[in-house]
Amino acid sequence: MEIFIQQTINAVSLGGTYALLALGLAIIFSIMGMINFAHGELMTITGYTLMYCGIAGFPFIIAAPIAITIAILAALIMERVAFRPVRNSSGATMLVTSFAVAVILQTLFQNLISPRSQAVILPDMLAQSIHFGGLSIGINQILSISITLTILVILNWFLRKTILGMAMRAAAEDFSVARLMGARANAVIAGAFAISGALAGVAGVLWVAQRASVDPLMGFIPVLKAFIAAILGGLGSLTGAVAGGFALGFIEIYLAAYLPDHIQPYREALALGIVIFLLLLRPHGLVPAFNVGREKV
Amino acid sequence: MTARTWIGTGGYVVFLIAAALIAASIGGSIERTLVVFFISLIAVLGMGVYSGNSGILSFGHLAFMGIAAYLSGILTMPVAMKKVTLAHAPTFLANAHLDFFSATVVTVLFVMAVALVVGVVISRLDGSSATITTLGLLVIVHGIIIGAREITRGSQSFFGVPRWTDITVAASCAVLAIVVARVFKDSVFGLKLRASRDDQLAAGAMGVNVRRQRLISWVLSAGLVAIAGVLIGHFLGAFSVKKFYFVDTFALLAMLIVGGMATVSGALAGAVLITLVSEFLRRIEGGVDILGYQTPQLFGTTQIGIGLIILLVMYKKSGGLLDRLELDEIVLPKLLKDRVATAARRSSPPVVPDGLLEAREITKAFDGLLALDKVSLALKSGEIVGLIGPNGSGKTTLLNVLSGMLPATAGTALIDGKDMTPLPAYRLASMGVSRTFQNIRLFGSMSVRQNVLVSALDKWPSSSTRSADAMVDLALETMKLESVAETQASTLSYGDQRRVEVARALALNPRFLFLDEPAAGMNREETDALMDDLKGLREQFGMGILIVDHDLPLIMRLCDRVVVLNEGHVIAEGEPQSVQKNPKVIEAYLGRKGSRQVAGTLTE
Repeated sequence: MEIFIQQTINAVSLGGTYALLALGLAIIFSIMGMINFAHGELMTITGYTLMYCGIAGFPFIIAAPIAITIAILAALIMERVAFRPVRNSSGATMLVTSFAVAVILQTLFQNLISPRSQAVILPDMLAQSIHFGGLSIGINQILSISITLTILVILNWFLRKTILGMAMRAAAEDFSVARLMGARANAVIAGAFAISGALAGVAGVLWVAQRASVDPLMGFIPVLKAFIAAILGGLGSLTGAVAGGFALGFIEIYLAAYLPDHIQPYREALALGIVIFLLLLRPHGLVPAFNVGREKV
Repeated sequence: MTARTWIGTGGYVVFLIAAALIAASIGGSIERTLVVFFISLIAVLGMGVYSGNSGILSFGHLAFMGIAAYLSGILTMPVAMKKVTLAHAPTFLANAHLDFFSATVVTVLFVMAVALVVGVVISRLDGSSATITTLGLLVIVHGIIIGAREITRGSQSFFGVPRWTDITVAASCAVLAIVVARVFKDSVFGLKLRASRDDQLAAGAMGVNVRRQRLISWVLSAGLVAIAGVLIGHFLGAFSVKKFYFVDTFALLAMLIVGGMATVSGALAGAVLITLVSEFLRRIEGGVDILGYQTPQLFGTTQIGIGLIILLVMYKKSGGLLDRLELDEIVLPKLLKDRVATAARRSSPPVVPDGLLEAREITKAFDGLLALDKVSLALKSGEIVGLIGPNGSGKTTLLNVLSGMLPATAGTALIDGKDMTPLPAYRLASMGVSRTFQNIRLFGSMSVRQNVLVSALDKWPSSSTRSADAMVDLALETMKLESVAETQASTLSYGDQRRVEVARALALNPRFLFLDEPAAGMNREETDALMDDLKGLREQFGMGILIVDHDLPLIMRLCDRVVVLNEGHVIAEGEPQSVQKNPKVIEAYLGRKGSRQVAGTLTE
């Protein structure tokens, strides 16, 4: 039972990070129809910023907000420089463009920083854990879970109560109508990228806080998983992205905890296999997006 | 396949063979480069068979290539070698030893079987979801190859595969791949799949089973890519699982995208361009000496180069360098008439049996909103029924339910007494229900003739392509579209596009035809001309027509019967004259106050 609770806490923590990433992807997808492959590189940029801040001697409490701000700026620059020219193109065009941006950035990290993994200086406090009966809960897990939940609450408030948030939700349902109603395309899209950059930044900080290192491909694999989570939840649905992120976190952690040893090498394949099987049952995801199947004929 | 296409394909083949001969005579690194080029080309053509025709990008094809390389390697590796490299392999694999050809056949069939299983899931998903699932496939197969250490040596190098791929083998397979890809694109399967790429909903309404078409092309494309996998394995002799992951996926996708993924020429152009650029960049990667200045060693120059090429092409020409045209279509435009006139020109359509379509108490709710509330209606062969009502009264929703594009919340739709409510649109199309769309939904990138051919081919293969061609001719002639038959549909004028919609619906040879605002946006003359044509349809084809339009004079002159919908209810039904005078109808159109005035003028 204690092991189960321990694993559940791990699952919430990992799932929360996937949820933040998937949410960032879903916001962009719902508004632009774009699958942003370079989302992971925003996470990597966050990691490198933390590393440099650590080297410069900044305390983590200051380094983290700086890193997240850099991620937001990077997302805005990415949108302005790389994605605006293909904004009205097909989904495939936008996807390939972002894939190219991701690969270029990864290669630049390898050349300009290092192809190898770099250590990030973290406060000792993060590595400690609280003992609670027979449980030991890491400080960084507590932080990760509480930060994830806080972010989700704030984002929910933002999307429901602020003008820009409402414009973004309207744009997610039908961008052309939202534009006719006066939502400004550039503001909405820049807003979406800023939010997705912030989410990638937070996810990056949480990721680094658990691993204390950063490498050029740091963001690539978690974002791949987040894509899968977004599909599992229902592509374009924000609630679905969060649900899918947590679901994938649970599937992965429980498989890691309870699979027999000789099947462990196939763990990752099995986790994704389960997701694909779930998609067979629910092709539009766990929480389908509003406009699925509503195309006007 | 037209004569022009065959000449074009022949051109590619000559190009490939010439390149192979030149490279073989030079030998050395040029020959090796060309072998790799041929293998990449096969893989790209394979990917194009699926992605190009369906419009859905795939990251998963490298997984098939990987499976093929490992499996064929295990099959052809000498038994003695396997005792060393794969000491723990299961007996049946450890003792297997096949020649190159048999191993290739076994491998390709195995990969196609795997693709069939995976494809059942992927073909159910739309666009972006399908793409990401293929990404999942790549990660899954990568994980399995690393996990299955007994037969793959995990993440270590897999070696001992006989190096049997030479330039002759690679070139012959490339020729095979290019012919298969080109023939597939213009085949019935390719045509239907491309229709679904341009407009999935309309393709369904014209009888295309989109999932099945996607599955067929997915399996075929996996087979082609498997050949590339066998070849690369037997070319390298030793490889590791990294060969079949993101780096190579990126390079192959670049080849597919840069040339233009919709065409075979695009795949060829992309493969040539990216191979040339990569070769060049690979040489300067280690640093070169330019006028005494030593450039620094740059890691991943090729990656950045390919990335920049992709960005440049996507910004300037997002459909790829060659976009949607095959080279033969550019080079040989009018040299050869595209089609020989069909011998069996038809003057009358094949006879269809009389029938009855009934809607019984159809209800459709969108969340809380009742768009249709127990609507009943009947349509007999040879009858023209008008469906009118104010905006938002549920006319189009009714057509959508009856043509299978929306599921009904309650109620049944019957054809000749048989329940057809749960059937998807493509099945209804085969049962004789055809329609046009209010907001034109043509297959934009295809010619007018191809648009119409898609629905005419619904009865293929039980009826020949020749009779489909004859049906197309008849439909084009009926709608007076012969002169624009070879024009790309999206470039036509609005009125002509509406006519193509009708022609395309006719080519299904329907028993019941739904026309959703066929005259919308037309001027008086165009409307009158259209009306004459529509009247002719009944005499010539004998089908029942259900027509929605806001042009009341048109409806009144054309229809035998008129059904009036208001807020999801049928409020009146009968002959045009009686409906016109019905106070409820007048009220629905003009409001209560207006209706009293009109009633006053009518009784005077």
